[in-house]
Amino acid sequence: MNSDTATLALSEVERPRWALRAAAVLLLSVGAGLLLLAVRQAGAGDGLFSALALLAPGWGGLVQAGLGLLRAAHRAPPVALALPWRWILAGAVGWCLGWALLAFSIPKAQAKDEAPSAAADSPLYPPLAAWRDFSPATFAAYAVAILGGEVVLVLLQTFLASGARGLGMAAPSAFVLSLLAAVLVAFAAGAFGAARARRLAAPEATIAVLYLGTPLPVLLTLLPNFPRAALWVGYRFREITYVAELIGRPEIAYWLTFTLLVVALALGILSGFVAGGSGTLDLSTGFELFVAARHVQVFRPRLLFGGLLVLLLGVVPPLLVLAVLRAADAAVERTRIRALGLKDPMLAAAAQRAWAEKAQTATAMMTALSVGGVGVGVMALIIVLSVMSGFEADLQTKILGTNAHVVVLKYTDNGAMPEYAEVVKKVEGLRGVIGVTPFIFGQVMIASEGNVDGTIIKGIDPASVGSVTDLPKNVLPGGNIDWLTQPNSIPVHRPARPRAATDADDEVVHHTPGGTEPVLPGILLGRELAASLRVLVGDRVTAVSPLGGGMGPTGPVPRSRAFRVAGIFYTGMYEYDSKFAYISLGEAQSFLDVKGATGVELKVADVDDARRISGAALQALDGYPYRTKDWGEMNRNLFSALRLEKLMMGIILTIIVIVAAGLIVATVTMLVLEKRKEISVLKALGVPDSGVVKIFLAEGLQIGLAGGLLGLLSGLAWCLFIEKVGLRMDPQVYYIHSLPVKVEPLQTALAVVIAVLVSYLASVFPALRAAQVEPVEGLKAE
Amino acid sequence: MALVEIRDVFKSYWLHGKRIDVLSGVSLDIERGELVSLVGASGAGKSTFLHVLGTLDAPVAGSLHFDGTSVFELSDAGLARFRNRTIGFVFQSHFLLPEFTALENVAMPALVQRVDRAAALAQARALLERVGLGARLDHRPGELSGGEAQRVALARALVLQPALLLADEPTGNLDPATGEGIHQLLREVNRDLGITMVVVTHNEVLARSMPRQLRLQAGKVLRA
Ligand SMILES: Nc1ncnc2c1ncn2[C@@H]1O[C@H](COP(=O)(O)OP(=O)(O)OP(=O)(O)O)[C@@H](O)[C@H]1O
Ligand SMILES: [Mg+2]
Repeated sequence: MNSDTATLALSEVERPRWALRAAAVLLLSVGAGLLLLAVRQAGAGDGLFSALALLAPGWGGLVQAGLGLLRAAHRAPPVALALPWRWILAGAVGWCLGWALLAFSIPKAQAKDEAPSAAADSPLYPPLAAWRDFSPATFAAYAVAILGGEVVLVLLQTFLASGARGLGMAAPSAFVLSLLAAVLVAFAAGAFGAARARRLAAPEATIAVLYLGTPLPVLLTLLPNFPRAALWVGYRFREITYVAELIGRPEIAYWLTFTLLVVALALGILSGFVAGGSGTLDLSTGFELFVAARHVQVFRPRLLFGGLLVLLLGVVPPLLVLAVLRAADAAVERTRIRALGLKDPMLAAAAQRAWAEKAQTATAMMTALSVGGVGVGVMALIIVLSVMSGFEADLQTKILGTNAHVVVLKYTDNGAMPEYAEVVKKVEGLRGVIGVTPFIFGQVMIASEGNVDGTIIKGIDPASVGSVTDLPKNVLPGGNIDWLTQPNSIPVHRPARPRAATDADDEVVHHTPGGTEPVLPGILLGRELAASLRVLVGDRVTAVSPLGGGMGPTGPVPRSRAFRVAGIFYTGMYEYDSKFAYISLGEAQSFLDVKGATGVELKVADVDDARRISGAALQALDGYPYRTKDWGEMNRNLFSALRLEKLMMGIILTIIVIVAAGLIVATVTMLVLEKRKEISVLKALGVPDSGVVKIFLAEGLQIGLAGGLLGLLSGLAWCLFIEKVGLRMDPQVYYIHSLPVKVEPLQTALAVVIAVLVSYLASVFPALRAAQVEPVEGLKAE
Repeated sequence: MALVEIRDVFKSYWLHGKRIDVLSGVSLDIERGELVSLVGASGAGKSTFLHVLGTLDAPVAGSLHFDGTSVFELSDAGLARFRNRTIGFVFQSHFLLPEFTALENVAMPALVQRVDRAAALAQARALLERVGLGARLDHRPGELSGGEAQRVALARALVLQPALLLADEPTGNLDPATGEGIHQLLREVNRDLGITMVVVTHNEVLARSMPRQLRLQAGKVLRA
């Protein structure tokens, strides 16, 4: 009694709808085009197009156009700005009409085209009857997750890091705490929303993320372009913008943080769906892990060991060895089976069967490949980040060894600070300060008999400078920093036997007219500087200060003074070794004509705390006319460039991990396809959807864990190798002897966590697809 | 109150826009402990009916009450629990999970219910011994004969002592003698454990030997 003609006249319904849609899209494009033209006419094109990329998700041309106009308004003088109203109006009308048409084209319930069926009076299948397409409560939960997460981040960061109204923590550690709290909020609220709705509720999540989540990062990104707006709300985000600027490109920080929150939300939603799909929280996974472990079997010693070998030695050698071993094994085994068979055919058959069982399936190969892919990604991440950290640490010790952590300066016409002794006394007692020394700063020319060079000259107090910088330690054997104040002790350099000038033109020849050398004040020179001047300890150099001699009839008169090299220092930084010279404070006062000192240098116990102490020192000195700078500020460009570079490398290498995740998607998808029938059977046996999801998530997770473990082991092994054996570098070129490595535990753990997380996320989609397999589907096949 | 009350169940398939009505208003009561046979022409919809009854397939309309609860109104997890605890399935092919041994396959429903591993395996062992497979515990499904696999499948359906056993041509793939063995086993289970059963079969002799006989015809269930 198959009811015959219930054929849906699909084409009849479809045609006008698609025509409507095409018209709507056309209108939308025309509208957007007109608006763009309007923006171009207002002269705000370039600004708009840079914003376009950020605003594209869901915000539409209207916002973009508005922002472009705003930008133009503040740039152009107000009178000159003529808004092309007609274009704007036409564009806006086209844009709105387009959307209206699109809404109109959404198909309505169709009129009945036939008599009611026999089922007309029976109750509809209840799950269909209870279907909800939008749940306000879940939307609210997701809104709390993303927007609440952002607000928590901003407020907590402000509270923790702000010195005036909060706890005054170091900004980076405060940020870590705030980010953690925000991620927890996003995760928990997402999990709650999904568990409540008992579905993933993707529409709610999309709307929440696009319309509630993006405004804040968009605002923060665009704020620097609008001085008036920045003045108005900018101060509320002071702490956040400060942290973001630490890496040099704040907008990258904003969007990375935003992405992190979105990932946390997605993970929360998934966990909520998986754990609470039943309405009761079910976190046990014993059964699912049991099934998953049988499906993928990645934690076999042979696979892990082989993977490790491949990562450590490269792909080719282990595979060659493997191939040779395999071939040898097979030959031996066949001979054995044949011998057995000659005795008793049954034994041979049994042995053959056992041998055949070892053969690998395609999915097993894919699994091994994905494990290897994740391993390579993690290994590369660990090695590269560790080497970059090594460079950074190397640079930091060199910079901090030569420079103070905090300097106190004074605003005056000649930059002098005659009362430096009081300043020293005031800042000495501050918590966290472990060394204080005064200094004088100047620029001079230094000439020897061999050469001339421009240098930065610093007057120092040899007694206390060691408490602030590593200078005393950096003085090479043969010199002595104390000779700066005891010029009598400097050994006078005499050639063993005076030679004729024609003998060797290039050598330094000392003319000692009176037979005795005069006692001269001491000077310390950097190694490269000394080399370029061709002087040794005990040699004489002349410093010329262009301004020191006061005013003469033709302008400033240079002052020159002779020094004797008291020592040569080596910091390992080419810039310092070629540009710095030190003399005693007293000499500098008279030579450079500075009263007292230029400023005071401080050393602090914890370099990451330098910013806070810098502020505290300024407070102790009652602010103006004093000012303070910490080492981060003094070397901001260098370190932010380094950090940005590291971030970029991290992102690029994470992309490797994501490519590996593509492998995982493929592998888990293959597993799902291969196991369709089994999924049906499991469902028939009473495994809920969330259980099926758990099984396949566990499979992706196992691949990620195995890969992460391999990557961790091989990455650490490589780092150890680089550290212990070393990769030699040419010091002439790099001014560094071997590649520095520094394995930072947090960053290394992060690499593994990223890999595991990415693997987990990669298996989400196939796992959800697995859950959609209908129980009857696999049971009908065959 | 009957154990199972089915009312107005409709089920249709659409193929190339053409509607195929398979069940058109099936209503039926099954009492506790009954042993019911269901016959019908090939393509009449017997398997479809059994799938709907076991909540493996969604009907277009209709209601199913089991022990007074409206089963179709359960959530996904509720349905899963219902399938796990109250229904046992045996199909024409065994549908055992290939990665697991016979023993683990039989224990699987108990493991799904998160029964302790050792207890579940002990229970499964006892059942396998009862169906005469004490010597095949560690065989994978690929290493069992058709009849053996079907007996493992039966043991799996019984491991949680379900209230209702649904069997869809359990002997369809077997030779008559082996098939008779399975039938014997089913009757024993019904008698000893008091498990209610609906058995779909093409075997007229077997059908006639059942206390209650139903026929599916023109989308309705009739008395045979
Ligand atoms: N997925 C499907 N799409 C379209 N038609 C289907 C589908 N599944 C089953 N049918 C049709 O529904 C009808 C009933 O199928 P069903 O498997 O229930 O029959 P059956 O009574 O079990 O037959 P048999 O005795 O041969 O097993 C058949 O005509 C079949 O062609
Ligand atoms: Mg059938």
